[in-house]
Amino acid sequence: MTAALDEPRATARRAPLTRLLRSELRMVLRRPRTLIGLALLAMVPVVAGIGIAIATGSSSGESVGDGLASLVEGNGLLLPIFGLTMSMTMLLPLTGAMLAADALAGEAANGTLRGLLMAPVGRARLLAVKAFGVAAVSLFAVLLMAATGIVAGLLLLGGDGMLTSSGTTLSFGAGLGRVLLTVVLVTVQVWALAAVALAVSAWTEHPLIVVVVSLGVVIVSGVLSVIPALDWLTPALITTSWEAIPEVVKDPLPTATLLTGVLRAGCYILIGYSIALSRMLTRDG
Amino acid sequence: MSGSTEFGTAAGSPAAVPAARTRGLRKVYRGTVAVDNVDLEVPTGAVLGMLGPNGSGKTTTIRMLLGLVTPTAGEVELLGRKLPEGAAESLPEVGALVEGPGFHPFLSGRENLLRAAAAEPHLSTSRIPAAVGAALERVGLAHAANRRFRGYSLGMKQRLGLAGALLVPRRLVVLDEPTNGLDPAGTREIRTIMADLHAAGTTVVVSSHLLAEVEATCTHVAVLNQGTVVAQGELADLLDAGSATLLVSTPEVEAAVDALRDHRIPARSLAEGIRVDLTATTAPEVVETLVKAGVPVHEVRRQRTGLEDLFARLTEDPVDAAELDPTSDPLVPQETR
Repeated sequence: MTAALDEPRATARRAPLTRLLRSELRMVLRRPRTLIGLALLAMVPVVAGIGIAIATGSSSGESVGDGLASLVEGNGLLLPIFGLTMSMTMLLPLTGAMLAADALAGEAANGTLRGLLMAPVGRARLLAVKAFGVAAVSLFAVLLMAATGIVAGLLLLGGDGMLTSSGTTLSFGAGLGRVLLTVVLVTVQVWALAAVALAVSAWTEHPLIVVVVSLGVVIVSGVLSVIPALDWLTPALITTSWEAIPEVVKDPLPTATLLTGVLRAGCYILIGYSIALSRMLTRDG
Repeated sequence: MSGSTEFGTAAGSPAAVPAARTRGLRKVYRGTVAVDNVDLEVPTGAVLGMLGPNGSGKTTTIRMLLGLVTPTAGEVELLGRKLPEGAAESLPEVGALVEGPGFHPFLSGRENLLRAAAAEPHLSTSRIPAAVGAALERVGLAHAANRRFRGYSLGMKQRLGLAGALLVPRRLVVLDEPTNGLDPAGTREIRTIMADLHAAGTTVVVSSHLLAEVEATCTHVAVLNQGTVVAQGELADLLDAGSATLLVSTPEVEAAVDALRDHRIPARSLAEGIRVDLTATTAPEVVETLVKAGVPVHEVRRQRTGLEDLFARLTEDPVDAAELDPTSDPLVPQETR
């Protein structure tokens, strides 16, 4: 369905989708905010690795902390996983929200959304292009963190396999597989929050509102999840899946838990994009 | 870049179909009526000036014309196709600069245009760099093409917006306050560009509050006030419809006025002559009357109502008028009440 094959008048010609996607990606990656954000995210595992290396070097024998962090010493491949799960509490959701905020609300605020609508890029198509930009760049951010995490982990903490939290040791290849699995799990969760943020983004011209509402969702969700009387709500909360991600380092992999998390994220993505689409179709440009 | 369109031939006879038409257009924002009952017609090939005080609904009307805003009621036809169904077909042939230029501050002028060009349906990928270069050249921004938009002056931003509207040969170009922030030279350039577009057969809709601008560049005028069109048509017709007067310079003012009054021709004395109302008479008749009465006539000049007078008549004091006389028609000049 290339544009060139269409009769000039039989159907309206449209700008090629790949051209739009490339243009979107180029624009997002040129935005100074994005670049600074990516650089900071890439630093997170490195800083964590340096911290752990210093802590283990100075007080030999003593554990650096609880949970995942205690496992990381001398266990380099765990560093990217540690970095990613740690960032999932705030930094990565913030990144997803920021990308979504800039995608629609930000473009509306500086008048560029109008230009796209007048070109015209169809409204549903425009949302798809925007969703692609947000998804691709958040995936890139997570991959970047994993990459710097792996390098920093192997250089600073060493180790040729992966010691799981269940006490078993995985081969280097299997350990790398776990890192990639974490990348997928974390990315899907960022996409879920970004979908919610994009729905808000379609309703407003103020990027800040999008970021505030998205972080509000995360914080309220986190608060609700620790109230015992509201246990029945837990399966619906977006943060429930995030808390399960560290289980990726257990030895038999808790597939069911992780899969539930992915499904939950899928529901949020579906709902978020449905709301965003319904708004985009009627939004005044 | 010429205005000839390689794809603008199959849309039927261009003279018959107006470039844009609205019927009963109405837009209500949260209980406030922004635009009501707008029947606007933009003839193909015209340069239509949209005039109106701030808040008269010019921009809202333009935004509905371009399918950016969904009307509360009424319909819009753009290049012969109804919106919003026909938007995908008609909008690629429409270039617009609405509510100021919208660009990314962190990209250069050229990069911003490249991004805009990527979304243009009628621009093949291979032609994008050339089209962008030509558009930059046309608005006189080639020298600053690689500077960031952030650092542009207001006038340069406006020019870049115009370049975006002219990326592709268009059948209709809509410019909302195009001379905003431009210096006199920039204003002249915009006028030249509009004249070029007009000469190439492109229809132009331009909203402005600079009446002299509109008078100098437009063939048609639509005057909006309080959300409705209070007058529209060819500029010359609208100006003629205003009360025409004749300025006669004569040293014998008193005698001239008396002579005309004897013939029931209303006239008023000025410092260096008289002003004669031509509503019920003609210029030769006035001159003949004066000469027969022995009044020396040095110069006779027909004074056309300026657009400024027309505009003032159409848009000023509607509140006072309504208070004085609820049935008063805003089209009727105030002096006649």
